[in-house]
Amino acid sequence: MTPAQVRCEGRSIYSSRRPSLRSRALSATSIIALAFLGAVLIGVMRPARADETCNSPYLSNLIKGQEDFVYVWTLGVKGLGDGSDKLVTVDVNPASKHYGKVIAILSVGGRGEAHHMGLTDDRRFLWAGSLDNNNIFVFDIQSNPARPKLIKTISNISSQAGYVGPHTFYALPGRMLIGALSNSKDHGGVTGMALYNNKGDYVQKYDMPTANGGDGYGYDIGINPAKNALLTSSFTGWNNYMMDLGKLVKDPEAMKHFGNTMVMWNLKSMKPEKVFSVPGAPLEIRWSLKEGDDWAITATALTSKLWLVKKDAKGEWQAKDVATIGDPAKIPLPVDISIAADGKALWVNTFMDGMTHYFDLTNPETPKETYATHTGSQVNMVSQSWDGKRVYITSSLLGNWDKKGADDQQFLKLFSWDGKELKEQWAIDFYKEKLGRAHHMKFGAKTLQTAYNPDTASASTKLAANR
Amino acid sequence: MKGAFRLHSDRWAGRVARISLLAAANLLFASACHSHEIAFPDRMDFVPPAAGTYKLERIMAAPRGKVLDIDGKERKFVSYTTRKVTLLSFIYTHCADAKGCPLAYAAFRSVKKSIENVPGMQEKVRFVSLSFDPQNDTPDVMRTYGGDDARSLQGLRWHFLTTRSNKELIPLLDGLGQDVSVAVIRPEGQRVPMLSHMLKVFLIDTHGEVREIYTSSFLLPNVLINDIKTLLMEKTVLVQ
Repeated sequence: MTPAQVRCEGRSIYSSRRPSLRSRALSATSIIALAFLGAVLIGVMRPARADETCNSPYLSNLIKGQEDFVYVWTLGVKGLGDGSDKLVTVDVNPASKHYGKVIAILSVGGRGEAHHMGLTDDRRFLWAGSLDNNNIFVFDIQSNPARPKLIKTISNISSQAGYVGPHTFYALPGRMLIGALSNSKDHGGVTGMALYNNKGDYVQKYDMPTANGGDGYGYDIGINPAKNALLTSSFTGWNNYMMDLGKLVKDPEAMKHFGNTMVMWNLKSMKPEKVFSVPGAPLEIRWSLKEGDDWAITATALTSKLWLVKKDAKGEWQAKDVATIGDPAKIPLPVDISIAADGKALWVNTFMDGMTHYFDLTNPETPKETYATHTGSQVNMVSQSWDGKRVYITSSLLGNWDKKGADDQQFLKLFSWDGKELKEQWAIDFYKEKLGRAHHMKFGAKTLQTAYNPDTASASTKLAANR
Repeated sequence: MKGAFRLHSDRWAGRVARISLLAAANLLFASACHSHEIAFPDRMDFVPPAAGTYKLERIMAAPRGKVLDIDGKERKFVSYTTRKVTLLSFIYTHCADAKGCPLAYAAFRSVKKSIENVPGMQEKVRFVSLSFDPQNDTPDVMRTYGGDDARSLQGLRWHFLTTRSNKELIPLLDGLGQDVSVAVIRPEGQRVPMLSHMLKVFLIDTHGEVREIYTSSFLLPNVLINDIKTLLMEKTVLVQ
């Protein structure tokens, strides 16, 4: 195993050059150590804050309540603000005086097609990827959740694994499994998953199967630990996702190069066990979070279907389409989905018509759309609070696929959901704020804070006094 | 770790809540110290792949440092992470979360029992329970906590370790990526430590490389045993 090519940098417009990861980790731990040494309880014990429903099952502290922050991974736009990809922090706690406002902007320098993010298992760090230049940024969101810090940039997924387009960041215990979209040989859709440890060191690669019906394409990752099941989906490669959408849809040859499969893997052995034919680019995967449930659902972008992956009566995994989203003939382009914490409902955004759909999944074999509304000129990501009462939506799909002209609205919107109707609470115009194209969201929460600001001397003194 | 609490410097929290917390924590502490007997649920809904048919990746090297054994003797941490396959868990003796340290303890006991029934296996495996609360978990406390498992020189060796200070603990936590958030109240005459941590169990090979990390989602004795066997088989079996 060759050393990872990593560099630590401080590109944030609010920060100076960052030290190495090692010293950052030690610094972060020193803060913990100071709290430890200080040994002081702060105030009262209360459950910590909320989380959204679409995270790895290995994530710790999945808890309910009001989220404090939403982090938005944002594509830079040339000529807009600093033009850089950036992590935008928004205060979303109604009790805060900064409610609904951008409170931190962390530019990473340059535009690399910022796309998706993922939390480490301990929620201390947020990994964010760029689909064009393949950079992976590691943000510290624990030291000060209100002001994330860039502590590391990983740029070796192509040289180590031969993959391009780090897309999905899925936490495993002590590790991050990254689903890629493309490869460095031909920039087509054949790709795989790369495994890193939480320190950012490359560990291993797993190519998507090309045998037994596999097309080798990748996109999302979804794990059900109770079933030893790892499920992957398929999209398209760099040649397509970096192409202008208008040009792409007029290119019959290019349109052939979209994924049409899902793969069920043995999680322990990391070997593919079954390839499902799922035509039309199955994208986001969501396992039902309800204990005992044994199914996952996805939406196909090009065929506008909901597909269910579930064990049949013989105990064999099967995939089948179970519902239609919008009018497939109009190619509404289903994109992100968000499953309810109890597995009984699903939000689905369709990009082209700007609609947000609500499906009743009480019986996942027969989902029923019970509500739909127009939420923007173009909509992509959707994240809901654990209790389902808050729904966040952003606009951008890909830099070269977003609409043009007046329809190219870029935003983060919060809606309330009372079971009947989405009501917009506020919206942040990412163009007006000179931020860029709003994409992936992850929730943040306030964490342990000491009742005083410990320094080593006082902490040690207190510890000695308490012995 | 489900149920972990986050503590906040909220001055509006209320004294009543604080007092309730202390009372509850005292009760937890009283009941948790020797709560080793936790029934381990059978949550496995699949047949794990047979030992030796898969590969466990080299995730990272175990860190180096110093620890104290139950006799208070300083030892090199590397002596507990090499030459045998090691199953290691960070614990603290006051942990009362059933899905935290007690869960790890129950898993270890289950695995220990299975290993001791396999001829020749117990000499090649060791368990390590390492406290991340050196202030309270002194060598004497660890000796008491470990009971017969700590004192026994027969069968599979199970080491109950602590550190002299946080200064020596931190490199081990950092090195293994074990997060610990600490909020401890220490009112006069009372001892109510409450630590928030994500349960992680580390499987380390004979060369000191971490080969698997388990959380409560995947801490299943049958899986642990297969993984231990897989490592022990590495020199003798070629995995296809």
